[in-house]
Amino acid sequence: MSEVTAPGGTIYDRGYRHYEGPREGRGRRVRAIAVAGIRRVLGLKRNWKTKVVPWGLLVLAFGPVLAFIGVRVLFAEAADDFFTYAQYLRIVAGLLLLFAATAGPELLCPDRRQNVLALIFTRPVTRSDYLLAKLAALLAVVALIAIVPLVVLFLGNTLTADSAATYLGDHLGDLGRILVAGSVLTVFYSVVALAAASLTDRRAVATAGLLGVFLGTSALANILFFTAQFDGRRWVAFLSLSGLPGRFVDWLFGAGFDPGTLADQAGFTGLGYLVAMAVVVVVAAALLTWRVLRLRA
Amino acid sequence: MLVAQVEDLSKRYGTVQALDRIDVEIAQGCTGLVGSNGAGKSTLIKLLLGLLVPDQGRATVLGHDVALDSLAVRSRVGYLPEGACLPGDVTAADFVAFMAQLGGLPPRPARERAAEVCYQVGLEEERYRAVGGFSTGMQQRVKLAVALVHDPSLLLLDEPTDGMDPQGREDMLDLIARIRGELGIDVLVSTHLLGDVERVCDRVVMVHGGHVLAQGSIAEVAGTTEPGFGIQLGDNGPEVLAALAAAGLEVRPSGGGSGGPGNSSPVSELLVQGPSDLIRDVAAQRGWPLRRLVPRAPSLEETFLRLQAAAGGPPPVEPASPPPAPEAAWGVRR
Repeated sequence: MSEVTAPGGTIYDRGYRHYEGPREGRGRRVRAIAVAGIRRVLGLKRNWKTKVVPWGLLVLAFGPVLAFIGVRVLFAEAADDFFTYAQYLRIVAGLLLLFAATAGPELLCPDRRQNVLALIFTRPVTRSDYLLAKLAALLAVVALIAIVPLVVLFLGNTLTADSAATYLGDHLGDLGRILVAGSVLTVFYSVVALAAASLTDRRAVATAGLLGVFLGTSALANILFFTAQFDGRRWVAFLSLSGLPGRFVDWLFGAGFDPGTLADQAGFTGLGYLVAMAVVVVVAAALLTWRVLRLRA
Repeated sequence: MLVAQVEDLSKRYGTVQALDRIDVEIAQGCTGLVGSNGAGKSTLIKLLLGLLVPDQGRATVLGHDVALDSLAVRSRVGYLPEGACLPGDVTAADFVAFMAQLGGLPPRPARERAAEVCYQVGLEEERYRAVGGFSTGMQQRVKLAVALVHDPSLLLLDEPTDGMDPQGREDMLDLIARIRGELGIDVLVSTHLLGDVERVCDRVVMVHGGHVLAQGSIAEVAGTTEPGFGIQLGDNGPEVLAALAAAGLEVRPSGGGSGGPGNSSPVSELLVQGPSDLIRDVAAQRGWPLRRLVPRAPSLEETFLRLQAAAGGPPPVEPASPPPAPEAAWGVRR
């Protein structure tokens, strides 16, 4: 900005100037959409009402872990029996469903409903860039709940153990399992939530639809398994979308299925549920890609 | 030098032929793209941006073939779309900065430039408020800031004064004139308001029903219509029109001809092309008082109406509702 210094003060020329600074490429554009998406999902720079759900779920995900570590630090003997990693991941899976079901539609629906795409796609942004950025944004915020609290718990357990080195040596496998399980759950919930959001421009419809499908398929699978008699009815275990992540987590951490449940009686291993989740993710990703590539400015 | 050129370009939506093998040349400066609703203006702009794929033909913008390199075109073009397209719960400054980053600017320069451009388009403290609370005029300013923030070489403005009150329209037209005059950015303004074009543009492209009616400088295009007379003959009622037409004169009503801002004269004048003696004779034969007979240079509006009528009459799609009274003085009247 050109300026003239005079005895009485400084006069700034606020006239229009052409931009002669650096211009960045595709990565900047993708990152800009992703960062804007993360801010939007977390309600940053928006009114307080938009912060209630995401920050409430974050508090629910991190609160128990931080409280446990705090109690353990203050009263070492008073908090020996916290949830196992598998148990906590199953709790987190419920929060993840709620979080993804609200965050996914928040990322995709307003752009279409408010016709913001008419501006976004008139910049050098392709549909693929847009899809990649939105997916990256949702993966980042879902991972915040799926992975970070468990890693914090692991670090807390390590640092408050009698011997941190011994604990780390004995439980390094758990850290690996936390990262694998958290990553699988992150991808599963993120892709499915975005696919659901791509089907409508109304956030509430997408959120309700996603929750309805998850809860509905679980109820349907249990009703079919426990009330109907037909060959191969154990395969209905794969119908329950909300059951797949928990069963995979139980298998990964070596915890058995709860006796008498559908998963226990169906007789499949967690590997089967992992494959089922992979199939769901592939189908959802195909649907999401098809929908986003057809978006019109 | 041409900033955009289309050759033999066609686009069809189902059974509707939006553009039919048109050839258009957009030169440097400010060009008005004029036509009634449904004439194909927005379709042409979207084809220039590469947002639509033509059925046939070729478009070149700033030296780039749109079909082959639409991303390069979009990085150098700013676009103000018609209608609502802004997020309601984001501040103007944040959204303009976001769009600057989509134009390739790093985050910090994007924020600085967003603040500067918002100021240039007349958004000062308002830029820190959520866009959802803005008036139509302020939203148009935000859209203009979005179009300008990445420093484009060409601006495509689709109905920039749409829905604005007279003062807002004046301000927007002043801004457009400044963009061309002071900033040196070439502008293509799509509008159905010929007064807007006469006010800020130096060239015009007239389209109707997917065809180009005329293109060139405003003087050239308006000059294709012969000069005539503005007359007031008796009460200028239907019988007057019929009598003049029966005498072989080309006649139509006018609200003053220029269609310019602030011209609120009633439709009390008839535009007549033909010998003044013949007009006098018609008045004398019927005993009607000839209150006014003044030579009139042809306006863009008269030329457009004449070319449109020659091309097949009214536009293919009528506006959903008539424009409010203040805007009527600016627009195409039939």
